[in-house]
This record gives sequence, structure tokens and C-alpha cells, in this order.
Amino acid sequence: MSFFMMDYEFKMKTQNERVKVEDLFDYEGCKVGRGTYGHVYKGRRKDGSDNKDYALKQIEGTGLSMSACREIALLRELKHPNVINLVRVFLSHNDRKVWLMFDFAEHDLWHIIKYHRAAKANKTKPFSVNKPMVKSLLYQILDGIHYLHSNWVLHRDLKPANILVMGEGPERGRVKIADMGFARLFNAPLKPLADLDPVVVTFWYRAPELLLGARHYTKAIDIWAIGCIFAELLTSEPIFHCRQEDIKTSNPYHHDQLDRIFNVMGFPHEKDWEDIKKMPEHPTLLKDFKKSNYVNCSLVKYMERHKIKPDTKSFQLLQKLLLMDPNKRITSDQAMQDPYFSEEPYPTQDVFQNLGPTIPYPKREFLTDDDQEEKSENKQRQNQQQPQPQQQHQQVPQQSQQPQQSNQHDNHPSKRVRLSGPPGHPGQMNSQQIPISQQQEFHQQQMMYSNAQQQQSNFQQRFQ
Amino acid sequence: MAGNFWQSSHNQQWLLDKQDLVRERQHDLALLTEEEYQKIFIFFASVIQTLGEQLKLRQQVIATATVYFKRFYARNSLKCIDPLLLAPTCIFLASKVEEFGVISNSRLISTCQTIIKNKFGYAYNSEFPYRTNHILECEFYLLENLDCCLIVYQPYRPLLQLVQDIGQEDQLLTLAWRIVNDSLRTDVCLLYPPYQIAIGCLGIACVILQKDQKTWFAELNVDLEKIQEIARYVMNLFELWKTYDEKKEIQGLLAKMPKPKLAPQR
Repeated sequence: MSFFMMDYEFKMKTQNERVKVEDLFDYEGCKVGRGTYGHVYKGRRKDGSDNKDYALKQIEGTGLSMSACREIALLRELKHPNVINLVRVFLSHNDRKVWLMFDFAEHDLWHIIKYHRAAKANKTKPFSVNKPMVKSLLYQILDGIHYLHSNWVLHRDLKPANILVMGEGPERGRVKIADMGFARLFNAPLKPLADLDPVVVTFWYRAPELLLGARHYTKAIDIWAIGCIFAELLTSEPIFHCRQEDIKTSNPYHHDQLDRIFNVMGFPHEKDWEDIKKMPEHPTLLKDFKKSNYVNCSLVKYMERHKIKPDTKSFQLLQKLLLMDPNKRITSDQAMQDPYFSEEPYPTQDVFQNLGPTIPYPKREFLTDDDQEEKSENKQRQNQQQPQPQQQHQQVPQQSQQPQQSNQHDNHPSKRVRLSGPPGHPGQMNSQQIPISQQQEFHQQQMMYSNAQQQQSNFQQRFQ
Repeated sequence: MAGNFWQSSHNQQWLLDKQDLVRERQHDLALLTEEEYQKIFIFFASVIQTLGEQLKLRQQVIATATVYFKRFYARNSLKCIDPLLLAPTCIFLASKVEEFGVISNSRLISTCQTIIKNKFGYAYNSEFPYRTNHILECEFYLLENLDCCLIVYQPYRPLLQLVQDIGQEDQLLTLAWRIVNDSLRTDVCLLYPPYQIAIGCLGIACVILQKDQKTWFAELNVDLEKIQEIARYVMNLFELWKTYDEKKEIQGLLAKMPKPKLAPQR
């Protein structure tokens, strides 16, 4: 018997219908980002059928890695005004490259905060992010995360560089949560999460339970990161700033980062966080830390040093987001109901609304390959002060994203959430009712790859 | 993304209608009868199941791979890509999407070789002919033809909730679970939402175990006509199995199947 894998006519037909990213877009010399995930270009349609900018992300490496598969699979389903919108996928068969096409976002919180830090250092105004803008940003971040969480998707790597903000145009000043390459389902953990990507959250935004070796990612971990971002917006300083040279290990336990958290928050009392005893690294914690070193530390004092008074609504919400005990930390929908948002000024759809007709923040610069190396040298120096977003540079002490060879298998019965079922049981089943996500006007109007009409027509043509 | 079935690509793009299937299959059905066509799909569902079990994949991954396979051929003739290549490709892609982890290329190929030789020797006289590069090339074509819709909802989760609601013992769940697995050998996963398939399969299980759950079913807020249609698909499969000897017939069926054609000679 002879085997021919693919029909010639089928192959030719598919090839002719396939559109190449380089045929559709001008993006040469327009690189705006470089990171472990790949390259991002700012592109425009060659045929001028619209005048919008698009972000074209060429995924690092070739073929479909697991994280590329997860990113495509999840973004294909997710539709929310505050979550980055995947417009189309291009598969380049010759070099086996995968390209993702997104709407282009001119700004991100890393650049916005950097702008204010520079102003502060140069003693030029404005020193800090304007207060109504902070509120609008936080509300939209919560809205996007609430959508992700209610769809059982965790972000797991929230940090200012991953919070994009749209520039001039119909969506001016709208938050877009991005970079969920590692986002994963958590209601059916076919594998315990920590086994796959042992370290994914940037250290400054990592929740204390992760630093103490928690084996499962949770919604509360994303909420902690949002608390960190909120504090950073209020003060223009990363609240849990920590020297990064020491971060080389793939071990989740990180002494200096915990020390920094305790220096701001105080050492956790057992009554405030009862389950801290159950954390895998709790013995190390007891060995390494002395409670008495942190008796004078509290979030109230830290924020007062940054001129945020404890009787403000913003402080009170911050405190609920940054609770050490993950079980007590507020959820995204509770946070959206917080009195902070029902007090004037109310959050606005355009976060830049109060800044006047022109957005003061600089647009993204194009990178050249040489330029980028220079910048990354510079950045080595700067890095002690402020982490670079992957958007622009390789993160220097990039923590290992390789699956960790761990022989530390967790046999703690309370952590084994899988139910045993009949043969062929697909893992943990969560009987919890899945909340119906908000009815966004977006859901109706958007079809990811095609409009409704095309959908009726030849299926092959839909994928271009 | 397990959140909202109603807004999913599965619901919006991949619940097809019967006429649609008939139309897309007309070329293949010029060469094969409907029953022969179904027997070929029963065979490849078994190939995927066996391959998945051999690779120690969970049923959820195997079911997703089977749905990818069926979706591809719901839009393409059997001749477009050799199903013997597409089957392992579906397993390979589904294992990444369902977060099982990447199966190493060499392990995938050697497992294919083993099962074709040891378990499906009655269907193939020669060795498994494909290598890693074929799978990788095929994977891109598969992803394109799926229109990047990779998240598939399965009946297993709703089934667990329903059985819990009835408050029945494991026997019912085990049987209904097997019937859901069997339903992958029919077209129901292309035609009906997974919760309806779960109810249909549970209904059959109740009949087989002679458990009277009529009042419970009557209280479900579902389109009972749809449930009956699903049950009919599955019962027809059981009927077919009574008289079908795959070991005898499959070589003839595979020979009759439309095959890929090479480039025209210049």
C-alpha cells in the first residue's frame, strides 16, 4: 500500500487562499517590542482598507509551542473591551513562524509610570499620574480581570508592562490587558499548575503565597498584582521594589522579595493569615525571618510617606487588594463595587479624559536591532531602579520559564483537588456554576476572524 | 477557557446542521455509502482512542482530538489529508491545548508505529509511514481548517453535574460516561451542544440499567426532541455494532476510501 499524505489539489487550493502577513501589511523597520515571547511590529494594511495601526506579534521560535497554542486557543474565545483583541492568526508555512495580529495600543502603564518618574526626577510637572486617571485605569483593569476570572482564565503575569492603553482613535484611553501567553484554565488542572511553569509572575508583583511556594495559581494571585499596580499608580514607585540581581533561581522562595514585602506591610500575624503554616516554605520563613524586625512597618505608614492618607477611599481599597492572606483578599467584582468608585470623580471610559485634548505620553519608538542592544546595556544599569517591560527589552534576570524538574511532589491531601472518577475521567470537575459574563456590546459585534456573512461562505476562505 | 459555552466558537461556529454535513460529504458519499463512511470514522476514532490511551492521555484530551478530527472532515473530503496522518496530528495538537504538555515527537511516532503494528495490524499491512515533519506540516493545515477554534466543550462535565443531581451511585455514571465516549463514533459532537449530549447519553444509561427517571427528565428544561435525536444516533451505532465485524471489513473500506492525489506529472 502506498501512502500520500496530502492531496495536491487541496494543498494548492489552501495555499492560494492563504494570505501572508508580509503581503497584507507594511511593518518593515517598525519593530516596537522585543522579548522572550518574540518580536512585535507596528503595521498598517498595504491596501489602505483602513487607516488603523495593528500590532503584529511574531512568536519566538518556530511551530506551535504549548504556550502559543494556549494563547491562540484562549484569545480566540475571549472578547471584552478591556482584554486585548486577537484579530487574526497568520501561519507562515515556509519558515514555520506564527504571527498574531492585534489592535495596536500606543501606551502601556510601564511607559506611563516611567514618564512620571522622569518628571519627578527632573522636578518638572506632572509628578504623578493624575488621580481621576488612576481610578479609571484601576476600574478597567478590574473589569478585564473580572471577565477573565469569570471565564476561568488566570492571567498569572500582571505587571505595568502588560497593561496597555489605547492611543488616539475610537478607543482612546481604554485599558487592554495583554500578554496572557501563560494564561491557563484553572478549573480543570490536568496537571498541577506549578509543574508546568514553575515561575511566571515577575517578582515585584508576586503574591506572598507564591513566594512561600504555593503550588496552585489562583484568582487571588492576580488580585495581589493589581494591588501592586494600583499602589504604583498612586505613588509612581513600585511598592515592592527589590534588587533584582539575586533573582536567578527557579525556586519560588525568594528571601529579599519577602523581606521587602514585610518592610512595607509588616510581618503577617498568624491570626491574620491562619493558613500560612501550611505553606511549603513556612519552615524556611520561620528560620530566615524575625518578626521583631518589622514591628514598625505597615501599609498605612508606607502610603503616608507617599502622601496617601489612610482615611481615603483609595487607600482603603488598596488595603483590601493587598491582604496577605489570599483567602481574605477581595475579588475583582467586590473591588468593582467598592465605595472608591462611587465617589467623585467617577471612572471614565477614556482614562486620559482629564488630560486635555492631546495625550501627553510619548508614542512607542521603533527599535532597530543594534539600537536594541545598546538599550539593553543601558537597561542593565537602569535595572536596579526600574524593571524593563518585555515590551521593549529582554528582561535581564529573566526567571526561568522552563518547566522545573521538581522532585517535590505535593502529596498534601488538601491540595489534591482532583476527584477520582470512572476510567477516562478528564480531571477535576468543578461543579460551581459558571457565571454568565457581562453582556458587552462587543460580544455581538465581533467575530474574530470574519464577519457573519463570510462565515456562511466557503470555510477555507475564512482563515486568511 | 471553560467559561461560557454560549459565547464560545464551539457554539457560534461549530454546531453544524445535518444538511450542511450531507452537502460537505457528497463527494465522499459518491464513493462510499453512509454506513461505510461511518465505519471509517468509527475506525479512526478507535485509532485516536488507542493512541491516546497508549500515551496515557486523559479522556478529555482524547475527546478533543476526536472532535478536531471530525471537524476537519466535516469541511473536507477524506482524500484531502490521509486520516492516518491527521489522527496523530489531532492528538498532538489537543494535548497542547488541553495543557497535558507537549508529547515528544519521537514518542508520538514510535507509539503510532507500535499501535498500527500491534493493535491495528488487521487494517494495515505495512508500517506507520509518517514522520515528525509530516505531523508538523499537517498541524498547520489542521489549525487553519479549524479556524483556530481549539477550545472544545465536552459532555463529561455536564454529565457529572447531572448524575450528582439525580443522586445516583457510580454505576450510572460509569455507564453514561462510556456511552459519551461511544457517542464520539457518531456525528452528535458536530450537531448538538455538549450538555444535550450528556442528557441523551444519561437517558440511554437509565434505560439500560432500568432506572426510572422519567419525572427527573421531565423536569429538565431541555428540548426533549433534540435529546431523542441524540439517543437515536447512539442507538443506531449500537445496532450497527451488533452485525459489524471491523476486522473483516476495514481493509476493504480503507481501500475504497478516496485517497490524496499527487501533483500532476509535468
